[in-house]
This record gives sequence, C-alpha cells and structure tokens, in this order.
Amino acid sequence: MHQSIKAPETVVSLLDILFYPDPLLRKIAAPVANVDGRVADLVDNMLDTMYHAPGIGLAATQINVHERIVVIDVSEESDSPITLINPEIKALDGEGEMQEGCLSIPGIFETIKRPSQVQVAAIDREGNPFELEADGLLAVCIQHELDHLDGKLFVDYLSPLKRNRIRKKMIKAAKERDEEEFDDDE
Amino acid sequence: MAVLDVRVAAVNVMLDMQSGGGSLTRLLPIAQQQVADADKALLQALCFGMARWSGRLSGLVDGLLKKPLKRKDTDIYILMQLGVFQLAYTRIAPHAAVDTTVAAVKHFKKPWAKGLVNAVLRNFQRRGDSLVELLDEPACYSHPPWLLSRFKKDWPDHWQDIIEHGNQQAPMTLRVNRRSVSTVDYLLQLNDCEFEANTVEGISSALTLKKPVPVQSLPNFDNGYISVQDAAAQIAAPLLGKGNGKRLLDACSAPGGKTAHALEHGEWRQVVALDHDADRLNRVKQTLQRLNFEDRCELHCTDAADTNSWWDGDAFDAILLDAPCSGTGVIRRHPDIKLLRREHDIEKLVGVQRILLNALWETLAPGGQLLYVTCSVLKDENEKQISWFLEQKDNAREIEINLPFGTSRSAGCIQILPGEHDMDGFFYALLAKT
Repeated sequence: MHQSIKAPETVVSLLDILFYPDPLLRKIAAPVANVDGRVADLVDNMLDTMYHAPGIGLAATQINVHERIVVIDVSEESDSPITLINPEIKALDGEGEMQEGCLSIPGIFETIKRPSQVQVAAIDREGNPFELEADGLLAVCIQHELDHLDGKLFVDYLSPLKRNRIRKKMIKAAKERDEEEFDDDE
Repeated sequence: MAVLDVRVAAVNVMLDMQSGGGSLTRLLPIAQQQVADADKALLQALCFGMARWSGRLSGLVDGLLKKPLKRKDTDIYILMQLGVFQLAYTRIAPHAAVDTTVAAVKHFKKPWAKGLVNAVLRNFQRRGDSLVELLDEPACYSHPPWLLSRFKKDWPDHWQDIIEHGNQQAPMTLRVNRRSVSTVDYLLQLNDCEFEANTVEGISSALTLKKPVPVQSLPNFDNGYISVQDAAAQIAAPLLGKGNGKRLLDACSAPGGKTAHALEHGEWRQVVALDHDADRLNRVKQTLQRLNFEDRCELHCTDAADTNSWWDGDAFDAILLDAPCSGTGVIRRHPDIKLLRREHDIEKLVGVQRILLNALWETLAPGGQLLYVTCSVLKDENEKQISWFLEQKDNAREIEINLPFGTSRSAGCIQILPGEHDMDGFFYALLAKT
C-alpha cells in the first residue's frame, strides 16, 4: 500500500463528464447503501464539476459513477446546492414546456414537455431523509436529473429523426474536440 | 442539466436579428426560455443595451482591432461588443465582465478567438476613454449615418435632442381607465404600494412611474384599471372625441392600446378594429378582454387598404389611422429600429401610408373625421404626407388640434419630439371630410 497524498480542501476536483452518445450514459444507477464520507466527497466533487461546467444540475451517471446521486443548484448566486440521494418521485402534476440543455449534450437546447410540478423524497449529503416540492425550473431540473439515473436523456423525448441529427452532430463535435486539444494553445 | 449561458444567448439574439430573424420584441421572448430564470432580466438588459449602443460599440471594437474580423466571425465581433457594453454601460464588475465574456468564446467553437477577445477587452479597460474621442459622428451618436442625416435635414435645430432622447431609456407610463377609477385615486393606490408616479400635464389619463415595475405588481391590473401606454399615444382617444353613438374604425389596431383607450374615453356605438397580422390582432383581443370591451368591438384580420375585402359600405363617423411608420419617434423603446430599418424603407412606408389614406378616406362619412397618427419624426411620413393629401383631395380640410404641446405645429398637425414632457415622438393630424 502506498500512502495517498491528501489535497488541501480548497482544491477543486473536476470530474470528466460523459458525452452523448456514450453508451455508459444508458446504465441504470444502483441505490446508495450508506451515505458516508465517500459519498459526501463525491457530492462535493460533483458540485464543483457542475458549477465549473457551468450547469444547474448533474447526475452521478454523467461522471460515470452509477449510483443514485444528483446535485442541483438553480439559484441566481449559485449558492443553494441541493443534493438528492436515492431520490424517488412521489407525485407529478401539471404540464409545462421548457428549453432544456444537458452537460452531456453540450450546445443543444430543445423544448421538452414535462409535468410542471414535482414532489420528491430523497436523502441529503448528511444522510437525512427529506421531501421537496418544486415547480418551475427546479421541477424540470429534478426530472431531467432523475432521468439520468435511469439511463434516460432529454433527447429521448424528441422524434427519432431529430435525435439522430443531434447524435451525428455530437459525434462530429467529439472529433473536433480531439483535434482541438492539439491546436488550442490556451 | 444545462441552461444556455446568458451572454451566449445575447450574442445569438443579436446574430439572429441581424440576419433577418425579426425584432427584439419577437426574438427576446424565445431566447428567454433558453436561459436560467435568474438570467432573464439580464438577457433583456444586454440585448436592449447592445441594440441601443450598437453604433458606438462597433466603433469602439473597430478601434481596438488591428484588422477587421471576417464576416463568418460576426459572432466573435458581437461578443466583443457585448464585452465592451458591460464594461462601459453596466455595473457588472469589470473582471467578471471580461472573464465571463472570454469564457463564452468556447460556445462558438473558435478557440483562436479567446486570446483576441481577452486582449480587446483589456485594451478597452486601459484606453477606452481616449477611443471615445476618436469616434466619428454616427458611432458617437450611435445612429446609422442615413438616419442621422435625415434628422439633421428635417430638424436642423432639434436633431441632437432627438438623438439624445432616442438613446435614453423610456419611462413606464400608465393609462388609467377612468371608467374604473380616477387618475388621482389610482395615483393613491400606487402610493399605497410604494410606487412613485407623476401626472402628465395636458394628458389627464396618464401617470408616469418613477421606476418601471412588472405590470402584474400594479394594483388592479387584472381588473383593467390601467394599461401600459406612453403618454403621447394617449392623445389619440381624446382627439377622436366622445363618440356619442357613432361608429369608429381603427384601421391598424394592433396591439390595441389606442382601440381600448377610445372605448374607455368615448360612447361609441360600434368600434371596428382591423389588423393584417393575425398574431398581433390576437393581442388586441386579449387587451379588450382584460378591459371588458370584447362585446363592443368587431375585429377583422385584413389589410385595411383592401376595402373590398372587409367594408360593408356603411360609412364611418370617425377613423383612426395609426399608420405603419419608421418608428423613429420610439427608438428609445425599440432601439433595434436603428439596426433593422434601412433608408429605402422610408419611401416604401410613405407609399403604404398614401394607399391607406386614400382607401380609408372613401369609407369616411361626409362630416366625419380621420385622425392620422405615426410614431415617426420624419417629415416625409408626417407633415409632408398631410400636405400631399390635402393637395389632392378637395373634400379634405385640417381641423385645429388644441393641445398644449408639440414642437412643430401647423393648423391641423402636431409633432411631439421624443423627450418632450418625457414622451415618445408622435405625429398627429386631424382631417375632416366635407
């Protein structure tokens, strides 16, 4: 066993985000058995990654960790993070449309129809169970992230034709990204 | 989940607008659905500000670039303008303005531009003030050259005022529905909600708010006590008179502010409201519904000039022709006019106005009156238009408008220039058929 070097707390740990159409995004996440220090660290790293992206929500699936963990922050000042561990939707109501985008499908924004109100039960970062009722952007974001845990993406709500167009676009973008890594001197 | 970065969204709106996607009024609500709720107000401020100062911002960016960008890099050019706008005209902290703007480059997939955008913005921070002094007149006044020369030609003594007020932000003015509440009583209701407002001299229905507020927060908005309308637009209904069982035509009615005001002000037997744009006519309908005037107004989606298609032959006692115009009197409310309007549009608009005047004149009863209105300050659309009309119609004469304002006035015409009593620029002419 070699000794691990502990990073100072201020260091931001960024995790790599999977990009559509990576099949790993389709894996169904397993429930978290114990909310312990390992999970708390993972949550913190997920929040750092989400803020840096920048995004308003991130599911563990997107960083190739297939456990039922979601982080969200829809606040103006990015200072109100919400952690949902083993989340379960208790009730859905209403209907609304919103333009959604996804950190795993960068640059694509599409109008998606979903229930406009949601009631969800989950466990927080400290291991305490809680319930949350949401509407507006938060309600949409919760549903979007919970979909990830079941291997579902917002493009699945689009027509196959549209989804295929996005798929091709993302494959092309991935190639360009690989090339850029050599060109970009920044 | 990701929402679109507000600065990227702002650049997209300006790009769409400049490639023929429509006005800010059309594009902004669509773009606002793509950004976080918290960014909606900022997106609006960025887009309106960039449109308002577009001439100056491009002048400044040009001064900072060693060589012009290629046409295909217009996105980067607009992003630079956005950066300069934030540094020069907003309270966004300079370092945040630079960092977020440079970060937005990533979205446009032009990594080479990152360093350039950064350099341009840092240079502006260092020597922006000295660059302003080097700007030519159109850039300095942030108006396109053709419009600047029109203003100078038409208003040799007032063109600078017109431009200065055109570049300011317009106040939010309310029209009190005095069927529901008196202007004074509504002012008291506003004061109860701690909204400050002033009355407007000579326009008894108007209250100008000291600070704009969301309409829904105004007391009794849903009950139809008030509507949002510039004071200069509130002159139309009183000029049309009390109605007294007569029949009124509102030929280009959308969005319906003046239609509703005519119904609030007068006892018209019937009001017929037309507009050629179905979506916009729908807004007239909504306005009338909120104010409970639905039953008293007949709506037709049609081109007013094509009288065969809509007119039943029953002549009108009064006609309001709020004619399609250049909008050069309301640039402070619609700064995108400066980017979208072209010089050759004016001639076309003058032609459309003539066709409308001629066609509608035939639907007016002898003894009836036609009120011609534009929100333009260009003489071709206004007083010259009326002189042309009077010259070719023997049965038309002007009626004196007795109102305490108007920068330029002749017998039957008044021209309010933007900023006068803090109003929009409007032109009114009242014509009687003999």
